[in-house]
Amino acid sequence: MNAKFRDLLLTTFLAIVLGLGLSAVMILFLGKNPLDAFGLLFTSIIRDQYTFGDIFVKATPLIFTALSFAFTFKANLFNIGAQGQFYIGAVIAVWSSLLMGGKVPGPLALLIVLILTAVGGGIWGALIGYFKARFNANEFLTSMMSTYVALAIMNYLLRTVLMEKKGEYPQTDALNESVWLPTFVPGTRLHIGFILAVLVAVGIWVLLYKTPLGYRIRAVGYNADAARMSGIDAKKLYVIAFFISGALAAGAGYTEVNGVQHMLLQGFNPDIGSAGLGIAILANANPIGIIFASILFGALNVGGTIMGQMSGIPSSIIELMEGFVMVFVILSYFVRARLENRREKRKLQKKVEE
Amino acid sequence: MINLLIVTVVMGTPLLYGSISEVFAERSGVMVTAIEGIFLMGAWAGFVGAYLTKSLLVGVACAIGAGVLTAALYGWITVYLKQHQVVTGTAINILAVGMCSFLQRVIFGVPVSPLTVTPLPMLPIPLLSKIPVLGPVFFNQNILTYLMYLIVPASYFLLYKTSIGLIIRSAGENPEAVDVAGINVDRVRFILVLVAGVMGGIAGAFYSIGYLGMFTTNMIGGRGWIAFAICFLGNWNPKGALAGTVVFGFTEALAISMQSSGGGFFPNELFIALPYILTIVLTITRKSFNVPAQLGVPYKKEN
Amino acid sequence: MDTPFFELRNITKYFSKVVANKDVSFSVGKGEVLALLGENGAGKSTIMKILYGLYKADSGQIFKDGEEQKINSPKDAMALGISMIQQHFSLVPAHTVTENIILGNVKGKIDRKACEKEIGELAKNYGFDVAPDAFVRDLSVGVQQKVEILKALYLKTRLLIMDEPTAVLTPQESENLMQFVRNFTAEGNSVIFITHKLKEVMEVADRIIVMRGGEVCGDLKCSQTDEKELSRLMIGKDLVPADRGSEEQSKNGEVRLEFQNISIVEHDQVPKLKDITFDIHQGEIFGIAGVSGNGQEELCEVVCGALHPTSGKLLLDGEDITDLNIRQRIDKGIGYVPSDRYRDGMVMDMTLAENMMLKTSFGKKWLKRGFIDKAKLNGCTEKAIQDYAVKAPGPDAMARGLSGGNQQKVVLAREVENGTKLIIFDQPTRGLDLGAVDHIHKVILGERAKGKSILLISTELSEIFALSDRIAVLYKGVVQGVFDRSEIDTEKIGLLMAGYAVDKGCSNEC
Repeated sequence: MNAKFRDLLLTTFLAIVLGLGLSAVMILFLGKNPLDAFGLLFTSIIRDQYTFGDIFVKATPLIFTALSFAFTFKANLFNIGAQGQFYIGAVIAVWSSLLMGGKVPGPLALLIVLILTAVGGGIWGALIGYFKARFNANEFLTSMMSTYVALAIMNYLLRTVLMEKKGEYPQTDALNESVWLPTFVPGTRLHIGFILAVLVAVGIWVLLYKTPLGYRIRAVGYNADAARMSGIDAKKLYVIAFFISGALAAGAGYTEVNGVQHMLLQGFNPDIGSAGLGIAILANANPIGIIFASILFGALNVGGTIMGQMSGIPSSIIELMEGFVMVFVILSYFVRARLENRREKRKLQKKVEE
Repeated sequence: MINLLIVTVVMGTPLLYGSISEVFAERSGVMVTAIEGIFLMGAWAGFVGAYLTKSLLVGVACAIGAGVLTAALYGWITVYLKQHQVVTGTAINILAVGMCSFLQRVIFGVPVSPLTVTPLPMLPIPLLSKIPVLGPVFFNQNILTYLMYLIVPASYFLLYKTSIGLIIRSAGENPEAVDVAGINVDRVRFILVLVAGVMGGIAGAFYSIGYLGMFTTNMIGGRGWIAFAICFLGNWNPKGALAGTVVFGFTEALAISMQSSGGGFFPNELFIALPYILTIVLTITRKSFNVPAQLGVPYKKEN
Repeated sequence: MDTPFFELRNITKYFSKVVANKDVSFSVGKGEVLALLGENGAGKSTIMKILYGLYKADSGQIFKDGEEQKINSPKDAMALGISMIQQHFSLVPAHTVTENIILGNVKGKIDRKACEKEIGELAKNYGFDVAPDAFVRDLSVGVQQKVEILKALYLKTRLLIMDEPTAVLTPQESENLMQFVRNFTAEGNSVIFITHKLKEVMEVADRIIVMRGGEVCGDLKCSQTDEKELSRLMIGKDLVPADRGSEEQSKNGEVRLEFQNISIVEHDQVPKLKDITFDIHQGEIFGIAGVSGNGQEELCEVVCGALHPTSGKLLLDGEDITDLNIRQRIDKGIGYVPSDRYRDGMVMDMTLAENMMLKTSFGKKWLKRGFIDKAKLNGCTEKAIQDYAVKAPGPDAMARGLSGGNQQKVVLAREVENGTKLIIFDQPTRGLDLGAVDHIHKVILGERAKGKSILLISTELSEIFALSDRIAVLYKGVVQGVFDRSEIDTEKIGLLMAGYAVDKGCSNEC
């Protein structure tokens, strides 16, 4: 293991520990014992199969939204709109599932829903890329704002065409069981969406690092001028990258609707985009790292919720933990660069003295 | 109609605080992407301060304090440690949400009824407030809005007519020139981030104790980002920020009035989304010029 | 002996990748012109940046008039009367001359009129033709340098440090600068100028400090040395000029690239290129001389396809390629070594292997079953590393980790491989040490011998003369005649570079 990789593991681990440690200090303000609280957090997540399986259930959509941010980030583009693309994906998933549920054979319906969701979310995302390519519109702003627009669209549809038959709440009817993503571990909610997410993450890694398209996306991200001088059409890549990014975020809508909620309701997972972004930061935008970082966040999520129920610590501690971890991870970037720098300097000094 | 204009000024005030401070920071080369978090921390601390001490002034002071602390963390990481501005801002915004919802619970537990404070009073200015239309629109507002009236021309003067303004503008265009002139670039940038903390904190307080008299964790709802957008759309100029604020303030006022009166043919959600749609449309259609050449790029010296 | 004006004692400075200065000591006297001579990377700029407070030395002392000084920032240096003009000017293009000069030097409200008047007078006193209210972005490089000098004069500088001041000037402008240096020091002020040009050193310096590898390796009086000795000290060995090989070859080659009345005029602006017409033969090196910013970059981009002319045609082997894009021209066998490899030539955060496929990522060359053929790519990169003697750990090394010269060799390897017909070299050796320069010159001549056509752009006249078969001078986007290398000398080129017409040395075309 080389020194650089060792630094990476060590500093990231330290960042997580410090982030959780600082959250523990915050628990003190509540007059609770943080050791008890964290003890509870860790024991609760392994207390039974169901809870443990839920870690991966929670991690699934996070893998998608984190990949969504990471993918465009590789092209030096900022897709802050994963939350909105997730909403669009969820709307398409629930709509098409409602239409097909019970009428089209389950596996086929699920496949069609997946494709429609990905394409729909992709187009919603690609618009941002198109605006960037065609009008040089700042994608950071447009993607950010697109979330609020998507939310408004979802809320509108939920109280009109998609509203449940009872007409009571702004939510859809439950999906027919034939379009539920099947679970694969008995006694848990763990559905095949998790496997899909892991496969997609690996696929994205292969796309980025093993294919010419991914190569060009990274080249544009690192140095757009050199890429242009090499005949690479950055504008086309903007649209492609945002399409893929949007499709990825929409994938989270698919797994949440068809895998977990089996319906869509207002106020649905409002933090999934920002958490995904945080995970991408934690994993240094590496698709494989994102799988693990998502599982960590999934565990914090599950454990934090149980902790809240059992010890009266508010569940906002989860966001606090995530926020602190992210800040420390960013600090760890700095520390790593420092360490690397110092190592080089020392090597040099030694060479000079010899 | 007059009511619409009054609300325009009310809704515009915090946006202008935010966008002017963003103009200053960005002219020096730093995007304050933590602005949403700064707004939120300001709103929360302002409310807590005002609720606990029954003094709105203390509330505003607390908001400034919280805004500056948040900005200081952001500035330290981005200016001194040279980390990515968008990434850092995002992390801090998430932290801010967790922080204020957690601390809200620490301080107040689970209240039975919603907590409220009396918002900042309207202070009609004698004589001026009697002028038809202009009077109620401009001269029957709260103290923070009046302060804003002074800040706009002052900031324009500072940026374009003084040596400090020259340094700020140069730092965003070519930080090396500033460095060679013997001025610490990082310090200039850090101070402006702190200023953004002060102004953003006030903006946040405006939402919680300025006119609503309450606090919820989703009360900022992207308005920090709108202020951020106004800075871009106003071409990094206080005058442009003012113009942008009028447009966005009016849109928000329109959305509010439509929501309360029922939008008629159009769905409510359209009006809620209006400011955001407007941002997208303007981002696409407006040609931006004047972009500070080194915006978002940390100043790194080899060492 | 007098106490020196400024003295540096035992300064050492480490960067993370190189030792910039090792135990450097020297001094400068009042009224003295000191030349700091050395190759690129010898540590000249670093030691001066330490004196000016931009860098902090790891150890060592600085004295003024025999008293130790702590210089922690340029503010401290300015207070001691030191000014430094950086090689890449530190001016704000979007601001006016006056704003640039008063930056950080005035307080409170700016009285624009008064400041402009003061600076106008200062410029007049020194005979500088600079408008105080002009925007820096509108000024030529030569005038920008005057603005930098005015900045120093405004602060009443006693010691003026200039980093490679003549690199961007025409020979005539350089002469004016030297005259200014003489006048300025005659008033009792001192000047240190950093350079790697021996000729200037002999012309203007009183004393010469030679640096090599971060250390001082010579401290000589100008009157007691000569160019030969200096050159040996600077390089550490005698240099054998690259062999140009047969002279006849180029004359026989067929025409490969033809410029036909190519112009770039946008709206009402000054043309970037105007009516360019010449051709390049097979096996010929066509050199373009001129002060940078006179259309060289545009010319290169027209050939590589990044920029399309507003009128005129470009022919490759008789085929019209005017409308082809970059990718299509790469496929036609046009290679391009850009002047700014950081910006246009390499992706610093990718590996050497990845950089090797930068221009050919669309082709089938690197593909195996739809995926990148890592083994093949690594093999090719490994070969390039060996052929070009690139000092690198291997194909998976990050481009950023290499020295400038080695990075340039990687770009060269790639472009020589891609450019089967024509290779554009824009400033191929700028900022490199002499060893690398030598190697690159040999590569260029080698490709010429293979019958490729070479378009060479350089602001270093010595390079143009050493390599070119024919030479053209570019001034404000216009070709000032095409000459055989035997027809023209430095003085003539100098005049052409400054826009003066010389008696039409007849080109091959006419």
